[in-house]
Amino acid sequence: MDFTKRSRIKLLKSPDEDSIDRFAPHNCMFYILPPQNDVSLKDFEDLAIERLKLLRILEQASLKYPKILSDEWKEFIINELNAEGLKYFVRLIKGNGNSEQDKHARRRDYLSHFILRFAYCRSEELRRWFITREMELFKFKFSSLSSNEIKDFIELYEMGYRPITDEQKNEVRQELQCSSTGNIDTIDFYKVNFLQVLDLVRQRKCFLKGGFAYVSSNDFSSIIGGHHQQFIEKGLLSHLKLLPEFENDERIVGIIKGLHTSYVGKDYTVNKDADVPIESLDQLSLKSYPLCMRMCHESLRKTHHLKHSGRLQYGLFLKGIGVSLEDSLRFWREEMTKNMEVDKFDKSYAYGIRYNYGKEGSRTNWTPWSCAKIISTAPGAQDVAGCPFKLWDSIELKSKLTSFGLNPMAVQDVVSYASKGHFQLACGRYFESVHETRLDEGVNHPNGYFENSQIIMGNRQTKEKNKPSSQQSNFNHRKQVQMNKQQEFKRKMDIKIKEEKDFDEELWKLSQREEELLNEWNTRQEQTKKEVAEISQMDWNDDDEDMSQINNYL
Amino acid sequence: MPEAQKEQFNANQLSDYLKLYYKRLFPHKQFYRWISYNLSEDGIFTNREFSFTMEDDIYIRYLSFENQSELENDICTKIPHKIDIGAVFNTRPKNHRSNANMKPIQRELVFDIDMTDYDDVRTCCNEANICNKCWKFMSIACKVIDTALREDFGFEHLLWVFSGRRGIHCWVCDKTARHLDSKGRGAIADYLQVSMSGGGENTVTKVTLYDKQHHSIRRARTIIEPCFNEIIIEDQDAFGSPSGIDKLLKMVNDETCRKELQNLFASTASDSKSIWSTFVGYFESMRVKSQLKSKLKYIVEEVQLAMLYPRLDINVSRGTNHLLKAPFCVHPKTGKVCVPFNPNLAHKFDPMTVPTVNLLMKEIDEFDQKTNEALETPDDKAAKVKDFKKTSMFKSTVIFEEFLRKIEQSTKSKAITVSDKRMEF
Repeated sequence: MDFTKRSRIKLLKSPDEDSIDRFAPHNCMFYILPPQNDVSLKDFEDLAIERLKLLRILEQASLKYPKILSDEWKEFIINELNAEGLKYFVRLIKGNGNSEQDKHARRRDYLSHFILRFAYCRSEELRRWFITREMELFKFKFSSLSSNEIKDFIELYEMGYRPITDEQKNEVRQELQCSSTGNIDTIDFYKVNFLQVLDLVRQRKCFLKGGFAYVSSNDFSSIIGGHHQQFIEKGLLSHLKLLPEFENDERIVGIIKGLHTSYVGKDYTVNKDADVPIESLDQLSLKSYPLCMRMCHESLRKTHHLKHSGRLQYGLFLKGIGVSLEDSLRFWREEMTKNMEVDKFDKSYAYGIRYNYGKEGSRTNWTPWSCAKIISTAPGAQDVAGCPFKLWDSIELKSKLTSFGLNPMAVQDVVSYASKGHFQLACGRYFESVHETRLDEGVNHPNGYFENSQIIMGNRQTKEKNKPSSQQSNFNHRKQVQMNKQQEFKRKMDIKIKEEKDFDEELWKLSQREEELLNEWNTRQEQTKKEVAEISQMDWNDDDEDMSQINNYL
Repeated sequence: MPEAQKEQFNANQLSDYLKLYYKRLFPHKQFYRWISYNLSEDGIFTNREFSFTMEDDIYIRYLSFENQSELENDICTKIPHKIDIGAVFNTRPKNHRSNANMKPIQRELVFDIDMTDYDDVRTCCNEANICNKCWKFMSIACKVIDTALREDFGFEHLLWVFSGRRGIHCWVCDKTARHLDSKGRGAIADYLQVSMSGGGENTVTKVTLYDKQHHSIRRARTIIEPCFNEIIIEDQDAFGSPSGIDKLLKMVNDETCRKELQNLFASTASDSKSIWSTFVGYFESMRVKSQLKSKLKYIVEEVQLAMLYPRLDINVSRGTNHLLKAPFCVHPKTGKVCVPFNPNLAHKFDPMTVPTVNLLMKEIDEFDQKTNEALETPDDKAAKVKDFKKTSMFKSTVIFEEFLRKIEQSTKSKAITVSDKRMEF
């Protein structure tokens, strides 16, 4: 297809500074060609913050109203955008246009996207978050296009799709009816390679024959969305390669690095603040574990085994709450060797635990699973993993929660959230009931759940979070934010240095210990030598004496 | 040959048997013809990762070979207890230490179905054991997956292999399948994954059906429903025990119905057939009285699918870099050869009579002896018959050859079109 070729073309320097028609020809746009013009540092930062606000709003909307593109979801976003003064985004999600204002809005949209790519390319977790949000934005934009605007869009990007004829449609009439909603006579179908609509394939939402998917125009956004997602995924990875060059400029590093920590929260990869002894896990699992982890813990205690996904999910969680590698190894070994030989454990399972801590294989220090990851996990048979609010049916959930001693009202709430597909809300309600408190922030990471629980129970200090308030619109405020960011950056550097120090210290200790051992060994050796020498000397002396005595006798 | 089958396989002698097996029976040539795909793409053979499992579970990864004879020699000298096939990389895997950017380029799309995943529905055996009754689960799984891959995705080159003990593997070797990224693999695996496990040790596997049923599910139902009585009711007698009834009840996601059914079951004879007909009858009468809740509308079909729909280990299919045991390996515990079988005749395949490596050796000896006696000129005739043709492995080699013939046709014709295109420029 021409269109994919286009994406590979690296744009030569464009002489025309504001050729927005070329870069962003449609309000609903693909981000293909990176910008080539200069942007002032101030604009750079403004644009970054604006887009972050937008993405944050999208995230909030999707947490509140999990059905995206529902009316409440749309309404929430538009209201929030207006309240934040981001009216130009509102313009962009209301169809196409070609006025000066549209072009202005497109320009901001286009630039800000590419700026944020720098902030969000550095880890898998960040990339996933960014792509999810960007896809929500795109789907929103695309959903408000009229059929003519869609046609324009397809032509503009030279995608070359044509609907199938009625004749073709009649051949597979029944099958089409089974996999689409609405009257198929009034819907156009497109026949495309199944690889272009993996989302639909995954959910069995299109008819498939001989490697081709028959897609209704309602679902067409999935195809376009698929392209869009690919552009962003690839783009993020190529941004990642640019990053080292970029990081030479400290002004920009201050903005970019500060952004994601202040906004997205933590990734819980390593917990430096806490040391959780494994003896306390049983106790902790009762109150501070979210249900998904409690279920893993209990199953492990009961059956002395967890299958692969379960071990990953729970093992990484343990790392995140502050169980050290040594403790972790001990914990799993003690439990699993109740059913297997120690030898087998060391051979087949210890690797996995060290792997979680980044000590094996690619040596990545793996991030504990977030709710999104856990919810999307489909455990195999007998594999204890995944989100129980999603996997268990209402009766099971009810009886389990009741057996935990939750009050019936709360049980009812949790079950009803879960049955409607609001798994994280269900989990939040569960948290509230267990801790008898309110939880405003919602649950989106099991380690966050744990931390919140510990804070409420007074076992951990609340961390200072410098979340910039969402109403910073004047310059002073922004300056403040920037200062914070720089401080944050400095703080991070300090931590890094400290980490290195810690590391050095550890190494030093290690080598010292080794030296001690060596010395000990040497002294011991010498001692032995001495002793041996003494003994032989003694013998010798004795012999001598004997000899002399004998001589004397003689 | 049931008598010969009784010949016990002794795992301690495996190395001795394997030495002969690799030398005389392992289809080196065909194996290479498969894995080299007519050398239709650059590095398709030389950059392929193999891994050997040696005696005492020593695992050698990242092996790669320059040509057929190198591979053959290495197999015959190292005598691996197991050979796994990995991905084709962008560089030679044996140099993996010097190349940090090594990444998988292509890999057959593979499916792994393991009998242990059916432990909650089979009563005849458990864990590593398998009998002809359990094989019926595999045979259904094979049919459902095979049809879906061919009809829906248009894949043609499917190699189905018995895994040597209790499961089956499927290698999809079409070029599009080999070049799928992990997202594509995941999507296909999810498409084929209909039943959902409860994610806990005491939960049951479930399927949810709606009014609109995707054509792939309808098709699966036409395969599964006619076999349900034979497999679940007669062979497995799945509802003949209190725990079986309990599992059945757990699939009903409604407390009142569950209670009513429980009472009904208490007064029914406790054999699977009566339980099942009571179950079906109960919901039918509810439907007639139009008291049936919409979520239980398809409960009977749901139970059937939940028990018989293929249970895939989708993590195996998802990865581009997953190692999977090669066909024609010998399973180190059972001594059985991992033979390819014909998916259209999966129901006739008998895992109990799959030849073991010791049996094969005996067959060769017997054959040689016979021909030698008949011919009296011991040297030529017997030697001319290829070794595998003398044994019960013959049939599976023929299946493999047929698979190779088809795939070679397709890679050849593609190679021609490529060269034609080049001529134009």
